[in-house]
Amino acid sequence: MKMSLVRPLLTRRGFSTSSGNLVASVLFERLPVVIPKIDPVVYAFQEFSFRWRQQYQRRYPDEFLDKSDARGKGDYQIDYVPAPRITEADKSNDRRSLQRALDRRLYLLLYGNAYGAPSGKPVWHFPEKVYESEETMRKCAESALKSVLGDLSNTYFVGNAPMAHMVVQPTKDQSGSTSYKRFFFKSQVIAKNEFNIGKCEDFVWVTKDELMEYFPEQAEFLNKMIIS
Amino acid sequence: MLRLLKPKPIPSGHHLIQRCAVSGTAKGKAKIKAGQALKRSRITTKKPGSESKPGGPTGSREKQERERLYEQCLQAPTPLRYLTQKQREREAEREKLGLISKERQREIDMMKKKNEKYKVSEKPTIIGTPGLDYVSLGLVDVEKLPKYELTVEDGRRLAKEYSRVLMRKHRARQAAESTLLRLKKEAIEALPEGLREAALVPDLSPFPVNRFMATLTPPIQGYIDQVREAANKISGMEKIRMLPRKKPVILFVSTLEWDCYLQFACME
Repeated sequence: MKMSLVRPLLTRRGFSTSSGNLVASVLFERLPVVIPKIDPVVYAFQEFSFRWRQQYQRRYPDEFLDKSDARGKGDYQIDYVPAPRITEADKSNDRRSLQRALDRRLYLLLYGNAYGAPSGKPVWHFPEKVYESEETMRKCAESALKSVLGDLSNTYFVGNAPMAHMVVQPTKDQSGSTSYKRFFFKSQVIAKNEFNIGKCEDFVWVTKDELMEYFPEQAEFLNKMIIS
Repeated sequence: MLRLLKPKPIPSGHHLIQRCAVSGTAKGKAKIKAGQALKRSRITTKKPGSESKPGGPTGSREKQERERLYEQCLQAPTPLRYLTQKQREREAEREKLGLISKERQREIDMMKKKNEKYKVSEKPTIIGTPGLDYVSLGLVDVEKLPKYELTVEDGRRLAKEYSRVLMRKHRARQAAESTLLRLKKEAIEALPEGLREAALVPDLSPFPVNRFMATLTPPIQGYIDQVREAANKISGMEKIRMLPRKKPVILFVSTLEWDCYLQFACME
């Protein structure tokens, strides 16, 4: 009988679990711009097979091969010097620029006030937002990223579901706060070279190895969540 | 065992003349040796003078040039011939007797030539266009490459290492991807009820079309503007000043494809 009285008091989105809040955080990544380095063993085999095949290939007269150079009218091509794969940002190790480490993925990290950190002290964290009654967690994550970037025209959220989750237990210093769950959503940079990151004191774009330095306790979890 | 009978199609006239599957011609019985010119590709220039030559002697010289080019292409040599063990032994025995076949003679002449193209390459060669290949772009550490000769055993060793490395990478990748899927499943289960259903809805909105694929070299700032400028300048002129594209040193083609192509090209 008490149940029928209690029921209308529960909100529409009734949580079945009682413990604490949900936090949506965003793993904002820039995909590699250049193909990665090739293993010497792989290249050696490809070279061997190329030379082996070339032994048995027919040698055609040069004038015949030159006929392929004839061009139609609309075919334009400017001679260019290919841009170097190691950019200046690589040499100066400028972690704020997106032109670093072009053959790897880069992830965004913010330095500022995060949910669940001891209040007032800035920490390195992913862009995140506490879940208040929005429709889905993905929308919550989108608003988190929006508050950091300004607008979402150059991002792409991969799917409606979160990528991974962790249950964060309160440490001894923050007595009184409950444990909460943090859900990670994956989103990718589309067609933009620099971003104005607001709402934090500092930001970095890091590769996976550098990411491990920023989060020493969660290294194992991050290793599973991020492939490369 | 029951054998299922397929209903036979209504026979047309085509099956009455047997056609070879590859060349589409009537099946010939003669054995064609590898690397030999195909039978139908001989150009008979021995017309008995009844044909009037256009433009007098110059016309015939051009024609002769063309015919010479075709002959060279159709009889294009390979530095190494593919011989079975039996053929090799036979050749060796004949050489002991002092008889050298035409092909063997050709091979010997080619080896004596100075041109790099006609020889089997001794040093590691560049694959692809000279400026934009893996070695010059720094994609491969040339010092770490294993040393090898062009023999079958070395080839087998290299192939084994190649397979080992790639399979290891593949397995690691598969394991990582299954971990990702597992984490995703757990995350979805950890969501409360209403949010979980929302998360389980598949997102069928189309992928962004301007997602760039990883390329060999990074994009050059301001390249598009240069191209557009050049195109605008040039579109007035009749003849385009073409800058030569970097030509590949050796083309990768297989002999079969080239022979078929040449058959068509020569039958103008």
